[in-house]
This record gives sequence, structure tokens and C-alpha cells, in this order.
Amino acid sequence: MSFFDLKGTLKPLTALKQFGRKPHTLKDVPYVTREAADRYRGFHYNDLEQCIGCGNCATICQNQAIDMVPVEGIEGKKGDSGLRPRVDNGRCCWCGLCVDVCPTGSLSLTKDYLYVSEDPNSFLWMPGVDNPQGKERISFFSTEETSLNDFARIPMPELEGMERVKSFAEVVLGYNEEQARAEASRCISCGLCTEACPEHMHIPEYINAIARANDADAVRIIYDNNPLPEMCGKVCTRRCEDVCAIAHRGEPIAIRWLKRYATETVDNADLIKEIVNPEIKEPNGFKVGIVGAGPSGLTVAYYLALRGFDCTIYEAHAKAGGMTMYGIPKYRFPEESLDKQIEYIEKVGVKINFNTKVGKDISFREIYDTHDAVFVGVGFPKPWTLGVEGENLKGSIQAVNFLYEINNGKRVDLGDKVIVIGGGNVAIDAARVSRRLGADVTILYRRRVQDMPADWEEIEGAEEEGVHIVPQAIPVKFHGDEKGHVISVEYVMAEMVPDERGGRPKPVPIEGSNKTIEATAVLGAIGQQGDYSFLEEEFAEKIKIERGRFVVNEIQQTSDPKIFAGGDAANRTADAISAIADGYRAVKGIEAMLVKKDEGNVD
Amino acid sequence: MKEIKTKIIERIKSHFQDAVERDYDYNRLDFSVKKETIPSILFYLKDEMNFKHLSHITCVDWLEEKEFEVVFILWSYTDRLQVYVRTRIDRDHPVLDNIDMIWRQANTYERELKEMYGINFTGLEAPEEFLLEDWEGPPPMRRDFDTREYAARTYYTRPGREDAQDVRETIIKRTGEELPDFAKKYKR
Repeated sequence: MSFFDLKGTLKPLTALKQFGRKPHTLKDVPYVTREAADRYRGFHYNDLEQCIGCGNCATICQNQAIDMVPVEGIEGKKGDSGLRPRVDNGRCCWCGLCVDVCPTGSLSLTKDYLYVSEDPNSFLWMPGVDNPQGKERISFFSTEETSLNDFARIPMPELEGMERVKSFAEVVLGYNEEQARAEASRCISCGLCTEACPEHMHIPEYINAIARANDADAVRIIYDNNPLPEMCGKVCTRRCEDVCAIAHRGEPIAIRWLKRYATETVDNADLIKEIVNPEIKEPNGFKVGIVGAGPSGLTVAYYLALRGFDCTIYEAHAKAGGMTMYGIPKYRFPEESLDKQIEYIEKVGVKINFNTKVGKDISFREIYDTHDAVFVGVGFPKPWTLGVEGENLKGSIQAVNFLYEINNGKRVDLGDKVIVIGGGNVAIDAARVSRRLGADVTILYRRRVQDMPADWEEIEGAEEEGVHIVPQAIPVKFHGDEKGHVISVEYVMAEMVPDERGGRPKPVPIEGSNKTIEATAVLGAIGQQGDYSFLEEEFAEKIKIERGRFVVNEIQQTSDPKIFAGGDAANRTADAISAIADGYRAVKGIEAMLVKKDEGNVD
Repeated sequence: MKEIKTKIIERIKSHFQDAVERDYDYNRLDFSVKKETIPSILFYLKDEMNFKHLSHITCVDWLEEKEFEVVFILWSYTDRLQVYVRTRIDRDHPVLDNIDMIWRQANTYERELKEMYGINFTGLEAPEEFLLEDWEGPPPMRRDFDTREYAARTYYTRPGREDAQDVRETIIKRTGEELPDFAKKYKR
């Protein structure tokens, strides 16, 4: 085929016929700049308030035109790295991928495309800072539909509501491999979540390992600073998901379920040991005593044991796990799952003395004298009482005690009308367990449903199971029959009054709105407190306790340098992951204190 | 529309035994064929089925399957139908018959595919270079071509960009997280 074409060569010359005509389309030039087309991709604009500094734009940029840099006036905080993108317009090719992958939608391209300067370095711009006028000129932006991010979470298979109440079978069924890989692939690996996690777990790394189909590596990364990951994978309060970059416009990555998936791929303690393959150092001769085998105590024991310490836990109950064993119902956290993790912790050399209540079976003094350091992780075992008339009637039980009995395999007869008072996770747990025992359950909570401190998934789950929630209801009196058994609860409705100091709105009772509800049992769940009666007088005086909690420094050390504390009895967040974080800090504190002191003597 | 589509599918399948059709809504037809069938099926579609116009030739890089999928997109003005003709070729030795005697504009598309994917069209007469000047690297539209790495190697970094920070490192520094070495390969 020939490429010389006579017609093609001569045809353009016909344009010459326009020669000499008066041009009429050009009359505004050069006074009017032509407006760019819709969706034109010009210079960047970044909404600095909306931007969270995840760096996804810088990662995707194939020309490496985007840097993440600190900006004056923007402080890093949970869910915001404090960095903002800066664009080298000399390298940018305006493909717009950065806009398409921006999880928050803060980054966009404008209709502006003219910039002339002799100084090549002036092409380095910080969108939003250097061109605030760009806000009015946005033309290329991403929506939930156009974004390349996947905003919809892979749904978690669950038992159906009315099916669940028939037994204590685990409600959440867990992702299968395909679902886990798909969910993990939604993660953009920014790592903002690690700051919100009290324990700073290596979240993007283990999610990435799952996405790349390397579950063993994921398990190894998870065990690096969490000895009870399967527990966290099932019941963690997951503050990480609150700050997830994807959550700004979609559903957060199911970080908790992915951790659950990874840990559930390993189904026995021997296999955990084989996969995690932890390096256990030679014994260094130091002995550490730990009071309480809850999450904080187990964390201290596990990581100190790996570092060559001789660790002994003193646990009052017959099983380890603390509140995660006796407080969390088995449909959320099955016992065999906990047993597997405890067995693994024992395999690395941790000794647990069960049924040994400190203060009764062994004195705190003895533990203090025979160990080089003591960690106290005793939690909050004692429930707060409501302080209303009739609270001591038969059938009025504390929810934590009720959960303890049930988790211990005992039967508790509640009758068929159970009233639960409170709005935290304990209240919801107690309500859902009561449903499983066949009762009709009503929760009375003094604030609104959205104010409930319980996990929203738990609240939803309870509603699906047929739990009735009465918000803004304050119990005032329990009525009993002649045998002293509770028969009804009298409560008063409340209205929400905004707090002038900016706190949560306060419930104020409405006079004359009293109502009465029938009850065969009442479960109080308005919080717990510490019980430090095991401490001898000298320690009780020496260790500073404020508002029911141990006062600790940044390495969890109490006012007695040899005594460390953590968990609910030392922090205000009162969840398992905070307890694990306390434990991990104490590990580093105890190691620094003992090993450094020892090395000091040698010198 | 449905009837016309069924009729075309029937005729194509009776002529080309290796044609596998895929069903699409609306006015689209889709056939996968062996690469040897390509010139004849295209001739047939153009001359017998009235698909007079070649809209485009494009390519999908199935890196994991070590194959290229070349897609010919044809249009019929009379039936207002679009037909996709796909064929898979070996990724390591990507060779296909030249078809620019059927549609002249195929010449340009083939030049583009040659430059961007490295597909050789037997009998193609065209200048060596198309859009890329003095290109020495692998064909850049192949999925294993690392654009980012290429950009980093080819263009110098403007001074004044040294203060760039890594988001993950910034957070690690702020929280005191200790990332173990074996986990680092899973960083972004």
C-alpha cells in the first residue's frame, strides 16, 4: 500500500479559499480566556480541612510528582497524618489518578491551566495552600461512583437474628479465604489506623499480607505485639476502624474481621508456635509476678517470657482470660478460641497458678518479696450499684455476676421478663444472653440510643434478636411481692438537656412521667469498679490510687517502682486492647528497669 | 434487535467453528476466535455481514496467563450493531496477521499496538517509530512495565523536594510503634 496520495496532498489547499475573508470568530481574542470544558483536568486543588494526609495520591502518582509534607497550622492527630500533598507541576501529566484514588474526595483538579513563570522552581505547588481561589474552579473531582476506591465492605456472614437466640452458637461466622482477600484488597495501607489503636498494631502490614495471600506472615506480624489476637479479632472495640481513610465516604475496612480471619487459619496452639516461631531468649534470672490473668497480665507474661524472664501469673479463677473469659458471652467469643491462645502463651514458658486468689491463698507481700517486679492487672470486678429502693430484692442481680455464672456453665433462673439497666456492652451482653435463656428482655437506658457506649453492632444485634430498648428511662424503684422477689420496675422518662460545658447532653427526669414495667428479674449494668482489698495496708498506703484507678507513669509504673499496673484498673478506656497496650508498655518498662539496673552493676 | 443478533450469531458459528460468543445486552456482540481465524472472520463480517467500519483495535494484557488479548471492534451502520472480535496470543511471542488491506486505518492501530505492547503484525508496512521517540525500554503499555520506576530513573527530581515525608514513617515516629523487619516488605 502506498502512502503517497495526490488527493490527500491537494485537499488542504482548498482552505486557501478562506483567504481574505473577515474573521468573525476571533473578535474577543485576546481579551476573553476560553472557559475549559466540563471535567477539565487542570491544576490541583486540595480541601485542606477534608484532607487526612493519607498519602494515597503520592503513592499512585506514576510520575512521582506528589510529595507529602507538613503544613503550618495543621497538626497531626488520630486519623490525620498532618501531612498534605505538594505537586510538582513540572512533572504532573494531569492524568487525574490522584483524584480518583483520594479516599476523602478532598483532592480535585480545577479548570485553571495557565501559569507562566521564568522560575522553574515556582512550579512546586501545594494545592489548596498556594491556590485558595481554586475552590471556585473545581472541575474534575471524584464521587463515590467514579472513585477507584472500593467503598463497600464485603458483608460478614452471620446467623439470622431469631436463629441466634436458640443457642450460644457464635453469631459471626467469619470470612472465608476469598472474602478475606477481597476485603483486604480494599485497604489503601495508609496506616492512619495504627495511631488510633492503643497498642499500635501493624495493621496495614498484616492486611497487606492477607491481600497477598500470605496468611502465615499476617499471623506473625499480628503476634509481634498482641498475644491475644484471636480475642481482638472477635471482640475488639476497633478504634482503628473509626479513623479508617475509606470510612470518610464508605464503610471502613473490616480490620477486626481480617485479624480474626488470619488468626483462625491457625487452629491449634502448636501450630501457632510453629508459625509465629518466636525467639525465646535464654533465662536472665529475673522473676516477675503477675496478679490477674486478664489481657494485660497475659501480655506482660508472654512478652517477658520471650525476653527470658521467669513469669508467674496468680489467677483467682479456674481459667485465664479475665473479663474476656467471664464477662464476654460465648456467642461472641467461644471458649475454645480463648483456650487455644492461653495454651500457646503457656507453651512459651508462662506459669499460671489457677484458683489462687491473692490476699487469700497467697499474700501480696509474698509475691512482692519473691519477685523482682510485680505487675497488677486486676481489672474492675466489682459492679456499681444503682442506689434505688428495692435493689436488694430477690431477682435483682448484677449483670457481671450473671454473666460470670453463665460463662462458668451454671444455670441462672431469670423467669420470662428480664429488665436490663444500662447501655454499655455489659448491658447488651446480659440482654442478649437473657434472650438466649428464653426471656423477653427490655433494656432501660437513661440517655438516647445513640448515646449508648455499647458497640453499635451489638445494639443492632440485640434489636435483631428481639431485645426491646427503652431509651431515656431512669429506674426509680423496684417493687417486690410479699416473698421479697422483684415483680416490677418503676421508671421515669427523661428529657435530654444540652450540657452547657460541652459534654454529653444530660438526662433530666420529667415529673409525673412514671411508668411501671413487669419483671421477673432485673440485671443492673451501670459499670464496675476496682477491688483492691488484696493489698496489705502498707501497700495500700504506698501505692497511689486516684478515683478508683492506679496512678501510673508512661511505663505503667506505680508509685512503688517495683510495682507496675495496667488494664481497667489503670486506664480510662476500659477495653481489652488498651489493657494489652498497658501490658506491652509495662513489658518495656520492666525490662528497662531490671536489665538496665543489672547491666549498671556489671559496669 | 434480538432476532438480528441471533441470526448473526448463527451465521458466524456455522462459518467459524472456533467462534465462542458471549452474550451482552443492547447492541453488542462478542466473539472469541483462534488467531488464525482473524483475517477470514473480519473479511466475512465486513463483506457479508455489513460491518463496514473498524472502530478500534485494542489489547488486554493478561500478564498472569501469559497472554495478550487483541480486540477488534467493528460497527455496522445498517444494523446499528457493534461486534467485538477477540483473540488470544502468546505473550512471549506476540504475532498476528496484518489486516490493513481490509481497513486502511488498521495500519495506525497496528503501529500503536506494536509500539505499546510489542505485538508484531506479519506483513505490516510502517515506519519503525510511532509516538515514542528513541524508545529503548520494554513496550510501555505492558503491565509489567513500571512507569513509576521509569519516571524516577528518567527525570531528575527538582531541588526543594527533599522535605517529602513518608506517611507511615511519620505515624510510626509519632506513636513509637516498632515495626519488625520481616513486616517491612508489606509496607505500601
